[in-house]
Amino acid sequence: MYNSEVRGRLITGDKSLGQISEEIIAPIHAKTPVWWYFAILVGLIMFGIGGYSIFLTLTKGIGMWGVNNSVAWGWAIINFVWWIGIGHAGTAFSIFLLILRQKWRTAINRAAEAMTVVAVICASLFPLMHMGRPWLFFYIFPYPNTRGPLWVNFNSPLFWDFVAISAYFLISASFWYFGMLPDFATIRDTAKSKIKKAVYGVFAFGWTGSSREWLRFEGLSFILGGIAAVLVVSVHSIVSTDFAVSVEVGWHTTIFPPYFVVGAIFSGFAMVLTLVVTMRGLYKMNDFITDSHIDAVCRVLIFISLIMGTAYLTEIFIAWYSGSEYEMYMFFHNRLFGEYSFQFWAMFVSNAVIPQLFWFKGMRRRMWVVFVISIIINIGMWFERFNIVVTSLSRDYLPSSWVSYSPSLVEIGFFVGTLGIFVTGVLLFFRFVPMIAISELKSVAKFDKPRNENLKHNDHE
Amino acid sequence: MNKDYILGVFKDEESLVSAFGKVKEKGVLPLEVYTPYPVHEILEGMGNKTRITHAAFFYGLFAAIGILSFLTYAASISWPLNYGGKPFNSFPSFIVVTIVATILSITILTLLTFSIRSKVFPGKVPEIYHERATDDRFVMVIDKKSMGLNTEAINSIITEYGEIE
Repeated sequence: MYNSEVRGRLITGDKSLGQISEEIIAPIHAKTPVWWYFAILVGLIMFGIGGYSIFLTLTKGIGMWGVNNSVAWGWAIINFVWWIGIGHAGTAFSIFLLILRQKWRTAINRAAEAMTVVAVICASLFPLMHMGRPWLFFYIFPYPNTRGPLWVNFNSPLFWDFVAISAYFLISASFWYFGMLPDFATIRDTAKSKIKKAVYGVFAFGWTGSSREWLRFEGLSFILGGIAAVLVVSVHSIVSTDFAVSVEVGWHTTIFPPYFVVGAIFSGFAMVLTLVVTMRGLYKMNDFITDSHIDAVCRVLIFISLIMGTAYLTEIFIAWYSGSEYEMYMFFHNRLFGEYSFQFWAMFVSNAVIPQLFWFKGMRRRMWVVFVISIIINIGMWFERFNIVVTSLSRDYLPSSWVSYSPSLVEIGFFVGTLGIFVTGVLLFFRFVPMIAISELKSVAKFDKPRNENLKHNDHE
Repeated sequence: MNKDYILGVFKDEESLVSAFGKVKEKGVLPLEVYTPYPVHEILEGMGNKTRITHAAFFYGLFAAIGILSFLTYAASISWPLNYGGKPFNSFPSFIVVTIVATILSITILTLLTFSIRSKVFPGKVPEIYHERATDDRFVMVIDKKSMGLNTEAINSIITEYGEIE
């Protein structure tokens, strides 16, 4: 049983159930603020830049990018891994914290899931464009064809990745959507305008909240929650095998799957923090996303940051301990002090050192500090992927194939475009979808009232 | 009100659960109970059972067998290809795809099952008894016929905890 005296209140301000729905739905019924139009314009301009970059890539080819024969994976793969990592927060929040019975997740999971769906869309664009001829992407499906080898290579991590990412997208999107049905019904039933009633009525799929619906809904969340927990671990493990199964110095290590999964959750949590701090600031959701929610995410980040630091040091230690001269060269000469040492130290400082500031309560309680650190972590995690992809590829076994890599404007534009998709997606989410899972929040609201202690656990578990 | 049912409307979960228990003691089961969030006492008390978890298990079982058989068939019978001298039937590396695709199949099939069995689908016109049942009211729908001789008693139970509408 959740004890609000020990863990703090989940919702502050003594809200009634009616107030909870009213305040969360308020941004949907309210007039669109001016800053929203301004922000979505910025998002769309960025999206336009990305669209033009994709157009150039499609019409002129991958030669428009800065990649070369040695560094064949440049920004595209870095950004792909980065976005997929961010996309991990959705399942981590809704599933892992569900399993761990962390009731504070109810205020944050909707935002995390929305972020996941958008981030996975951004991520999937990169390998698609990197194929060179994306209009033939369906070659990767295993279907009977007349092209020669009948089937794709089922032993290839690249194929696993394709399966994992598309499954992850479909599952997280449907999990997110079905979780919203009761809330769409709430909007439908509270809306004054007929258009809103009709539109949200369609979205709500005719949800009424009857006991028969709730019974199966609970069964559904139970099943989806249970099996999707595997995805938190599997998706990024599979992404890491893209690297780890190749005989490339600095990639060919067994630490990669856990290292990638933890890194993914790290960047995902950081991005969630960025998002919910923004939500609090813009929409005054402080009663639902309380200081103690932010505090909890910060504490999780300290823990993960320590794991990240350990992983970095382990890699360096194993390079020395292996006695392999290639590994020694890669880590001690190339990564720590080589051409891309700035990226290495930027990664190390922003992921393993700066988040340690969260040990201080004063830091966790100052929202601007939390916001800035969450951004720093995201940048640091981007540098981590840069460090992994570029340092290893640019210094091969053969010195004759050593090259430097820097991105072309088209690559940068493509990345800006996905940032634009993300900004636009998040803004649409703010405007048209309940930002917090209303029904889930109501189900935990009673834990703040001591007289309800004799009631059973009635939340979504 | 014209109808052949009465609505018991309650303001919080506790009142609903208490009233529900007392109504059941009188031998009357409400037609349906509408709540803003799942209330387990009601879900159990209404006596409905769901087999959606069992369905999901069997979807998973058949999907896993099907996918693994397909991979084995495709890679070692239909068109064996030598990838760096690895065995055609490289079972361990098929596990990854099997797990992920099985999870996807379970999710999609269970969602379809949920949608069909609970009759929640795009374009459905909901039967709304009380507009605030998805907001902040807990609504119990009782068939007038089923009340029989207990009508008085049930009415007084409902008015004790909530209101009749």
